[in-house]
Amino acid sequence: MTFLTVARKDLMLYVRDARFLATLGLFSAALVLILSVAFGPIFRDPPLEAAATIWAALFFAGVLGLSRSQDLEAESGGSDALRLTGADPFALYLGKTLANILLLSAVFLLLLPLTAVFFDVGSLKALPALLCVVGLALVGYSAWGTLFAALARGLQARELLLSVLLFPSLVPLWIGAVKLTHALWDGGTIEPVRDWIKVMAVMDILGLALAGWLFESIQEAAE
Amino acid sequence: MILRADAVRKRFDERTVLAGASLTLAPGEVVLLSGANGSGKTTFARILATLLPPDDGEVLLDDEPVGERRRAARRAIGFATHQPLLYSGLTPVENLEFFGRLAGIAGAHAPIPALLERFGLTAFAHVPLATFSRGMLQRVALSRALLNDPSFLILDEPYAGLDTEGVSALNAILGEGRERGTATLLVGHDHDRAAAVTTRRVHLERGRIEPS
Amino acid sequence: MNRNVPDWWRKGATWLWRAALVLVGISLAMIAFRAPIEAVMGPVQKIVYIHVPSAIVTLLAFGIAFAAAIAYLATKQWIWDAISAASCEVGLVFATVVMISGPLWARSAWNTWWTWEPRLTTFFILWILYAAYQVIRASIRSSSKRTISAVMAIVFFVNLPIVWKSVEWWRGSLHPRSVTMTGEMRQVLLFSMMAWIVFFAAVLERRLQLEWAREAAAREAAARDAAPGGFQPGAPEARRA
Repeated sequence: MTFLTVARKDLMLYVRDARFLATLGLFSAALVLILSVAFGPIFRDPPLEAAATIWAALFFAGVLGLSRSQDLEAESGGSDALRLTGADPFALYLGKTLANILLLSAVFLLLLPLTAVFFDVGSLKALPALLCVVGLALVGYSAWGTLFAALARGLQARELLLSVLLFPSLVPLWIGAVKLTHALWDGGTIEPVRDWIKVMAVMDILGLALAGWLFESIQEAAE
Repeated sequence: MILRADAVRKRFDERTVLAGASLTLAPGEVVLLSGANGSGKTTFARILATLLPPDDGEVLLDDEPVGERRRAARRAIGFATHQPLLYSGLTPVENLEFFGRLAGIAGAHAPIPALLERFGLTAFAHVPLATFSRGMLQRVALSRALLNDPSFLILDEPYAGLDTEGVSALNAILGEGRERGTATLLVGHDHDRAAAVTTRRVHLERGRIEPS
Repeated sequence: MNRNVPDWWRKGATWLWRAALVLVGISLAMIAFRAPIEAVMGPVQKIVYIHVPSAIVTLLAFGIAFAAAIAYLATKQWIWDAISAASCEVGLVFATVVMISGPLWARSAWNTWWTWEPRLTTFFILWILYAAYQVIRASIRSSSKRTISAVMAIVFFVNLPIVWKSVEWWRGSLHPRSVTMTGEMRQVLLFSMMAWIVFFAAVLERRLQLEWAREAAAREAAARDAAPGGFQPGAPEARRA
């Protein structure tokens, strides 16, 4: 399947770029550390502070990852080679999105134990639900993020623009992610904030649908 | 199949680069397109390869505008340019396999060893491209262009960086292609090196293509 | 293509401007004299007659940009991109008015410059997105500018309702929902809305004339180059001599 081929290629390139992975990992870990020091040493509401911290770190890790994802194509001469294969643009988009989801999931798995330790939160019982929430958030983030990254590719202040674009427009995702994570770490149940799951799901679907509609136009507007 | 550019115009900001350039590529031809630096040869090559939309005029495949069938047209075209259009973090084999799969070549791996062999790259087949020299990258780039056994080859400065063996390998392949009915456009100034295979010469001047 | 817009457009534009100026003039007079001074807040409350219409106009502008962007992607005709870009630009100006008048009112109504309440927050996000639109559009030089702009106009607009709703649920609403307004206040507000919409149309029309002139100039340059013997490769300055 085309999109799996593309995802595999992106992941291979990430894995072989030690400097990029180190930057990504260290930067997001440092953010967790800094925020835990800022909130501590006595935490007033550890589940909330921890949830905010891990999602802030994931957001910035995502900006780095999404930029890099587009830079991979730019380094190899723009998306010319990809377009020349005559492959379905949506499959190309899906492949990149999948690779980003997996990359960010790896960052999350790195940050989770760090956050759990520094803030003293988390429970194994809530873990499966937490992973679902993270999955929901990362799907939406990658879906919209890959779209915006493609829009902003080749521009000078790429990362800056991406952060500016990605945070405000994905506010529903961020609020939902933090609220759900907070609820899971606080009481182990998402009951009071269930509705946010619907909001996030709508964002996910909307992002993928917009990309399906518009990605070919974005890709062909290459130069 | 015939690939034709018909009165193509292209402007970048205020600067007109192509002002009604036309060219027909028919099976069995090897056309050499030369022109001064900055005359728009690369732009023309990209437009013909359907990578760049012209401001005016059109590109036709068998007399039908390429626009609708762009993806199908691209699978019949092999393109190489100044940039290798390859991933430097991957090896030649990985690159070619990747592009092969995307282009929908069944059994994508099959033609790769033979192709690498022809360009003398077998020894480097599993070495990441980051360490390759300019000439070697060019060989891999040419392999990529030939991967899908295209009906049309559009090669921009293909001899750049190639040593004598590379030039021979390329000319051999171009000659074979000519026999088999591939239509080739070579862009550049390599009159000498391409002399053996060229069937027609044109040049780009003042935004238009004239026979040489 | 003529550098100036066709006569019928120019005539209509003059009338539109006159109407706009008259209506805005009347509306300002009404705000000053007809609208009663609100009991609790005093004269400052009258900012609402600028604030609310500006907000309406902003949304209208971005809605037009959205529709025009779709039309551009479908037809690839330059006029749709011109309308979309012009509307985004004018809309950003009105959004700025909202962002300035909002905190001014908040300060006198709730004694704080900013609260994270839904509408203000959503408009802030709106402002950021469409400011980014300007930055991105300005920095793309190639022919892909139009397509990228259209995609942005679509994506940003589609995103808005969800963002709005989410911020509302997140924060609950401090913004007066249905304000208790006397008949006179409602009258002034509605008239202001109409006046500002007409004003927006006039400004948009002017902005479109600029796009028209740009396109005409570009086509002239292209035609000059295409004429036999007309094309001299080299710097544009040299060519124009």
